[in-house]
Amino acid sequence: MDAVRATGLVKRFGATTAVDGLDLVIEPGEVRGLLGPNGAGKTTLLRILFGLIRPDAGSVELLGRHLDHLGGDVLDGVGGFVEEPSFYPYLSGRANLRLLAKLDGRGAGTDEVDGALERVDLRRYAGSRVGGYSTGMRQRLGIAAALLRRPRLLLLDEPTSGLDPAGARAVAKLVRDLAADGVAVLLSSHQIGELEKVCGSYTVMRQGHVLWDGTVAELEAQAPDSAYALFTSDDAQAHELAAGVARVRVQRAARGGLMVAARQEEMDELVARLADARILIRRLELMVSPLESMFFALTAVESALELDSLEPQQMAERILAGA
Amino acid sequence: MTTIAPSAPAAGSEPRVKEGVRDAYRTEVHKLMAQLSTRMLMLVCAFGPFAFAAILKVQSGTPSDALFGVWVHSSGFAISLVILGFAGSWGFPIVAGVLAGDLFSSEDRYGTWKTILTRSCTREDVFAGKLLAVGTFAVGLTLMLAASGLIAGLVFVGPHALVNLSGVLTSPGRMLALTVDSWLVCLLPVLAYTSLAILFSVATRNGILGVLGPLLVALVTQLLDLIGKGVIVHQLLIGSAFDGWHGLFTTHPFFGPLFVGSAVSLVWIAVSLTVSWRLLRRRDFLAVSSGGAPNWTTPIKVVAAAAATVAVLALASSVGPTGVTAYRVAATIGREFNNVTLLQQSLIGRRVPPSARLYIQPQCNRRGTKAIGPGDWNCNIYVYVPQPNAVPYQLTSVEYDVSVQYNGCYKAQSPPAFLGGQTMLDAAGGSVTNPLFIVYGCFNPL
Repeated sequence: MDAVRATGLVKRFGATTAVDGLDLVIEPGEVRGLLGPNGAGKTTLLRILFGLIRPDAGSVELLGRHLDHLGGDVLDGVGGFVEEPSFYPYLSGRANLRLLAKLDGRGAGTDEVDGALERVDLRRYAGSRVGGYSTGMRQRLGIAAALLRRPRLLLLDEPTSGLDPAGARAVAKLVRDLAADGVAVLLSSHQIGELEKVCGSYTVMRQGHVLWDGTVAELEAQAPDSAYALFTSDDAQAHELAAGVARVRVQRAARGGLMVAARQEEMDELVARLADARILIRRLELMVSPLESMFFALTAVESALELDSLEPQQMAERILAGA
Repeated sequence: MTTIAPSAPAAGSEPRVKEGVRDAYRTEVHKLMAQLSTRMLMLVCAFGPFAFAAILKVQSGTPSDALFGVWVHSSGFAISLVILGFAGSWGFPIVAGVLAGDLFSSEDRYGTWKTILTRSCTREDVFAGKLLAVGTFAVGLTLMLAASGLIAGLVFVGPHALVNLSGVLTSPGRMLALTVDSWLVCLLPVLAYTSLAILFSVATRNGILGVLGPLLVALVTQLLDLIGKGVIVHQLLIGSAFDGWHGLFTTHPFFGPLFVGSAVSLVWIAVSLTVSWRLLRRRDFLAVSSGGAPNWTTPIKVVAAAAATVAVLALASSVGPTGVTAYRVAATIGREFNNVTLLQQSLIGRRVPPSARLYIQPQCNRRGTKAIGPGDWNCNIYVYVPQPNAVPYQLTSVEYDVSVQYNGCYKAQSPPAFLGGQTMLDAAGGSVTNPLFIVYGCFNPL
């Protein structure tokens, strides 16, 4: 039984088609990354999966149950949030979770609620009104609210938004651990680096269409060249060596070192040759990952503006464009 | 955050008792109880009548424009009934607006629709739970206000007999029963206003309009009461349903307005809730705009529709027959004048046989261009007093200025030169309310 089986989803808003004939299948234990530039239809897709909006065409099955887009039991076992988590600001974090637990029909077990708050390190603020919470604290409360449902399917929209690095790492670990227990996860994010830490497969969307989907292995096989920053003990000789490796493109970087565009296998070959030539590698940095390069290739160039580290990507893009 | 541990092994299918509406109801009750506005309403309903009664106690003035208002120093039941009259005009719309006007729109404001609708309750559960919760509070607050008003009146003034709307002194036991009945029959129109507030909240998604909507409807009702003479349109308004209890306080009770008001309330409830549910059921819950100006398109449309409705009602408010005619006014005030005159005679110590009747000829005319309809009337009451040596009677006339409402209720006041002031001395030398000074009465306008 698939965790998610969406077939032929279409959603229009006036003249705009937000989701256009989308198919999506996620299996239990799978962590699927959902990528796309703004306006790609990611949030609309998540809202359809949560039953918040009804598609104009197509059907959705969650955990084997047909979604009728009026919520209810069909969402049993489905947790998560879309966009930033929202709560009642005049209630405490604990009261919000107890209230949501009531809506789940679980009652309001204090231990269970406090356990969920403990898991996201919010126990200290459990009695404080949510109106006083920071963005990161509300994000953590959203994760706690999702965990409270003991999900078999997690739908998460930018779950690390507003979190500090330690919090983001903890979320990544949580997702991996849940997946190991068989929980399917659909993770929508603009932070490609965060997705790469946890996802085993990806769906790339643009203008309501799925441009590409597949596993990490398929991605690595099909992705365009990655881009690396390479600093060696002898950049001039390293440049000469790299130029001699098939399908490796290289150029001097403005701030020193080399910018290299290559696939993983060719990069391995280059590193081996540098070693044979006794050229020391002082720093080797992945500037544009296979996922990023695939994302660049599939979506418009301007989507780079949405990424976190703009400068390295622009540099890498210049390398790729100069090929 | 450094230690997010995984939850217990993914379950989601563990056995549990799940009753969607019950769960949603408990949730909404919890939320309502946590809100400052609800707590303030509870405080006002619980203690407001005591404050009102205490203020009346320390001053000699009376809210004489309200039915029974002139009697607030004479009977505790009058205080409860004055509060009920005010609540029907303004209090209940305020309660309904504050309770229900933000019930649905607050979910938009906080962005929490997506939070609650992604749990295990259906939209139907959430809608029903909200309705039941707000209905519970509306009924609860009404009963709280009723109990508080009654207790405050009895504590500060006492459980004394009260002159009814036919001018007959009515026993405390009978008054208690009628007062309780009056509050109870107002529950339906209270729920109608609450349903209307829900409709405003769902349709506009705007808490301000949701809260103010019922109050604006009440205001429009008051204005229409002033300008229209037709009885049909008035009876279709929710506010008119609060007048149904007046008929209980006449010597020969009439129930027509009460039944019509109850039926009209039920129709308002059914229509408001049906439209609300259809709007909510069909709605797509899209992203909440996180900045910029709020979307006022829908509220403006709703306000425009409401304004158009008001205009139509204003134009139609004089359509159909009027319940206020010279015959009805004269007949009612004549009978009542007889009763309060005999009551006055009794108060000053004269013996009044049970079968005593005055010989009265009332003559009433409406001031203004129209001879019928609510408004200001003038009634001359000619009383033929049997006296020894008079042939055959001595004629005395009393003039009353009568303010008649569309619902058949009136307040008649005579200049002090005719019948004395608001108070007089009774047989024991105590100061009592002069029953002839201000006379309240009602007749069936249907």
